Amino acid sequence: MSKLLSPARTQVLFMGNEAIARGALEAGLNVAAGYPGTPSSEIIESLAHVARERKLYVEWSTNEKVALEVAAAASFAGLRSMCVMKQNGVNVASDFLLHLTASGTRGGLVLVTCEDPGALSSVNEGESRYFARMLEIPLLEPSSFQEAKDLTKWAFELSEAIGNVVMLRSVTRMSHASGNVICGKLPAKSRRAKFDYDGPVMDSRTGPMISTPVVAKHTLHQKKLKGVEVLFEKSPFNRYAGPAKPQLLIITSSVCFLYSQEAIKMLGLHKKVGILKLGCTWPLPPALLKKHLLKTDKILIVEEVLSFLEENVKVLAAGMLKQMGSKIFYGKIDGSLPSVGELNPDIVAAALGKIMKVKRKSLPADYTRKLQKAAALVPVREQTFCAGCPHRASFWNIHNAIALDGRKGFVCGDIGCYSMAALSPATGYHTMPTLHSMGSGTGLASGFAKLAAFGFDKPILTVCGDSTFYHAVIPALINAQHNRADITFIVLDNAGTAMTGFQPHPGLPTSALKETVPAVDIAAICAAIGAKVMISDPFDLETTSKILTSFLEDKGSVKVLILRQACALSPEKKGKKKFNVKVNDALCLGESCGCNRLCTRIFRCPALIWDRIKKKALVDEVICAGCGVCASICPQKAILKTEATV
Amino acid sequence: MTTPIKTVISQKILKKEVLEGDLCTGCGACVGLCPYQVIYHDRTVQLHTCDLENGKCYDFCPRTSTDLNELRNMLFDAGDLTPETGAVKGYYFSRATDRQLREDAQHGGTVTALMELALFEGLIDSAIVSARDQEFVQNGVVVKDEAALRKNAGSKFTVSPTVAAFNRLAATKEAGKIGVVATPCQALALAKMKLKAVKEDRGKIDQLKLVIGLYCGWAFAAQKFKELMGQNDIELESIAGMDIPAGKNSLEIYTGNGTKSFPLSDAQACIRSACNYCLDSTAEYADISVGAARFGDSWEEMRHWNQMIVRTGKGRNLIELAIKRGVLEVRNAPAESLRQLKNVAGEKKKEALKNIIRKSGSAKNLLYLDRHDPVVRRFLAK
Amino acid sequence: MLVTAGYYVTIGETFGMSQRGGSVMSHLRISRESVLSPQIPQGRADIIVGLEPAEALRVLTRYGNPDVVVLINSRVVYPIGVITGELSYPSLSEIESIFKELTAHSWLIDATIAAVELGNPVLSNIVMIGALAKTALLPICRRAFEKEIARNMAADKCEINLRAFDAGAGMIENIVD
Repeated sequence: MSKLLSPARTQVLFMGNEAIARGALEAGLNVAAGYPGTPSSEIIESLAHVARERKLYVEWSTNEKVALEVAAAASFAGLRSMCVMKQNGVNVASDFLLHLTASGTRGGLVLVTCEDPGALSSVNEGESRYFARMLEIPLLEPSSFQEAKDLTKWAFELSEAIGNVVMLRSVTRMSHASGNVICGKLPAKSRRAKFDYDGPVMDSRTGPMISTPVVAKHTLHQKKLKGVEVLFEKSPFNRYAGPAKPQLLIITSSVCFLYSQEAIKMLGLHKKVGILKLGCTWPLPPALLKKHLLKTDKILIVEEVLSFLEENVKVLAAGMLKQMGSKIFYGKIDGSLPSVGELNPDIVAAALGKIMKVKRKSLPADYTRKLQKAAALVPVREQTFCAGCPHRASFWNIHNAIALDGRKGFVCGDIGCYSMAALSPATGYHTMPTLHSMGSGTGLASGFAKLAAFGFDKPILTVCGDSTFYHAVIPALINAQHNRADITFIVLDNAGTAMTGFQPHPGLPTSALKETVPAVDIAAICAAIGAKVMISDPFDLETTSKILTSFLEDKGSVKVLILRQACALSPEKKGKKKFNVKVNDALCLGESCGCNRLCTRIFRCPALIWDRIKKKALVDEVICAGCGVCASICPQKAILKTEATV
Repeated sequence: MTTPIKTVISQKILKKEVLEGDLCTGCGACVGLCPYQVIYHDRTVQLHTCDLENGKCYDFCPRTSTDLNELRNMLFDAGDLTPETGAVKGYYFSRATDRQLREDAQHGGTVTALMELALFEGLIDSAIVSARDQEFVQNGVVVKDEAALRKNAGSKFTVSPTVAAFNRLAATKEAGKIGVVATPCQALALAKMKLKAVKEDRGKIDQLKLVIGLYCGWAFAAQKFKELMGQNDIELESIAGMDIPAGKNSLEIYTGNGTKSFPLSDAQACIRSACNYCLDSTAEYADISVGAARFGDSWEEMRHWNQMIVRTGKGRNLIELAIKRGVLEVRNAPAESLRQLKNVAGEKKKEALKNIIRKSGSAKNLLYLDRHDPVVRRFLAK
Repeated sequence: MLVTAGYYVTIGETFGMSQRGGSVMSHLRISRESVLSPQIPQGRADIIVGLEPAEALRVLTRYGNPDVVVLINSRVVYPIGVITGELSYPSLSEIESIFKELTAHSWLIDATIAAVELGNPVLSNIVMIGALAKTALLPICRRAFEKEIARNMAADKCEINLRAFDAGAGMIENIVD
């Protein structure tokens, strides 16, 4: 039996994302849709695992906007649905979200956004909480694993109570952390879908699901949000712990609550500092805030990314200035806490110590000095493509084609593991100078290619992954073709959404539920647009390089190269070497003129290492994935590959 | 205070001085030695960065500084040296005795006949010549028999990375004896290799047994030439040959649909810029140098004969053998022809030096040349 | 295992792009009293389990203290900067002496070799767990591990995992007298 379906009252170790999934199941979830993105992916994945037992419909949608539309349809039909994405996905979904919050919903609809403070697995440190304020919907933020489950369950009830979307915000250190959760009951019955639309326009249960008449519906929407404030006043998810008259009040939410709690403990301040932990962060319950703000004059607001909570608390406090008098607020705005990056107990303790003028017990000075000395010895471990990664070979080909062409062409980057070519330039052989949102590489390329009239005569390339292609690239590609943008568009097709854990996408014949579904062919789409399409194996350096150089010379149209080779970590490849790879010492030239360590100095595969004593290259067989590409690049033919016997 | 040691990375200065300095002849001397330097079309491309000092790429390049005196002393008899055309042991008019070969080749078919002979007699095991593919890209190819030699006969007018083919073949170490048909820049590169080869590479370089040089005034830049042909609706694949006939001020392109003629000025606009800085029009560093008999007595002689300078003892032996075997018809060239050749060759040197000074901005900076070299001094405008 | 034994467990991890050749760290926290944050405060680790020597050292320099005990897989995985020659990697003896000096106790074992001998380098993680159990620093025992393996793994994988566990335990016996 899946851990996710553990019986009521059992205590299990759940990852934050599993806790959210369990909460949804306890709420009687019917439909879940999402698009993979770290740190959110495990929610849909774990729901898909139990979909059959729980009679759910779960899908990986083409993108987040579509996912929200799929979830909204279920809600309109009276079902409970959940839509899951990483923070960046909310931006994608926001157009529909704006309209959806205006029309309202029926069955409980929870939008889960998993954010990534510090951008551990993202290319930006975005914030979705402002969407809740801007779109006037409730925002919930769990601060423990138990709460991740319980708040999710309650979010569905809340959504149904107000007839609108409820946003649940998690962060990496919650979604990807694990902790104890006591399970609740799983409902026995499932709902039936039914969509009424013939009723009066203002009747959200039977009328049409539209946002008009806009002003009337907006008024109703705001009235319901006022009702939410009332619910939040009494919510058990907002609690205070600490002395009755603290010297300092910490107001916090999310995992920052755990950091704050720990910081207080580290400094021994539990008799002086209290914490108001908020699970419901928009709209803020004014009476509750007033009650706690009155306890003290000093308030520290602990939160990650932007100063959302701090701003909202200050607005409330400003409105109650007469009753409360002036307060000193500490937080991101005054610089007590850093305004970027993620927090941790140390950062919170440092801020707290400074405000309370308390010093943390430190390690012996001599020990610290020695640690620092040791730290200087540890080499930086830069991110790079895995051993056997097809992207390394793809970028090798791309780099060579650009170099041969000689016009200093470049690649507009996109989101996926191949983003590393931009994040760590040497990994992409210095070819990829732009990196933005999903699909933006193709749009940028389309724009760059039209600058020839302004004297910008360079070959423009762009890359995208197979999943990204469906997500947001197609409109940009059509734009390029229609506007005759001369671009070389490269699909790095590694047969799955590799970076987030091999979720299926529309190009594959399997769905999230492991059903056989029609695969939508990238090559056929590109050909239908009218582009010139070629397919190659990036490990075949000779053929791929020939196609690419010919594409760069072929001016005036959209050229598509689909580079097909499965990810080295994919289930079908992992642990299975195609080749055994070895270096022949006698042939290896090493550092001398004629080679100068092309394989280890330039090619940069983590499995090809450099023996500093023998001055020869060496294959680390434990790390080597057996792709054999290095055998093709060695000018001396000193790297030998032999077909591995299974 | 210690002064930091300034490292000189060969690939970097090669890029700065030669590639970016528009001096690269595309000869291929720096190519085929390592994975970093490659030829694409007729451009030398540095694929990835190499951080070695004292790299062969820099040492072998005909456009990096060299002690040319040392080179001449190594290769030639001091008494044979002339300032205009290098070492001259003998100066002749010649043509192949094989009529078919004369028709296939550019002028008298002398180069092909000599290479055929060297292969047949076992003086060399492989010949490296320039070949052109359908897209008009030139490459050095290794040939081992008569048929392959004849297929690639004829003047090409665009550069070929012939020396790269030598590098690749020589690297195998079991190549045997190698002969190369080389333009002046390629012959200079091959000579520099002999001079500068490090001990470990000596065996590879010593496989070079024969260099037959081609007279060369300049070569086309492939891209510019392609554009010229494109503008005139000549398909590159259709070009069977070309020539600048003596006395005519035009470039003739021979295609399947007949001959097309261009004013020489159009053709000259396509010249590879590196050629403007070259002093050598007679392949001074070869064993034998061959060109069209431009300064002959009759039109027939000029069109269908070659002129040839024998520079080394090895070259002399080959000519004697060719006469003995009856593959080459050889005449003594008129003295007036040599005078004219020297005149033209000297003018080329003067012109190139002027161009170099214009580029460097100073008569004290002659780029890859040493202003104290006796030949350079002789032709420097006073 | 620990949850069943009545502890509050918090595991903090990062993955996604950070796993691609970068340095990755997991924080495991166990408490009888309450949920702890998924990040250990600086200088406050009780145990460091390092799957690679330089990474163990990196973690020590941030979370180490004179009372910390350390278990390290001695198998080196070179960072790309070391492979290219831009960076240098400290010698194993240098790393070992730092651990000797700055920890209460340290074990350096070649878990990867043991795993390769068992037929799959992936088993090095289980070898490390076996070694960790043997140190008796954590309330985990072979019987509990056996139960957990049986619950989470396909039947044909159980035996090899238990052998890896035992191999790890064996390596601790050999070092500590």
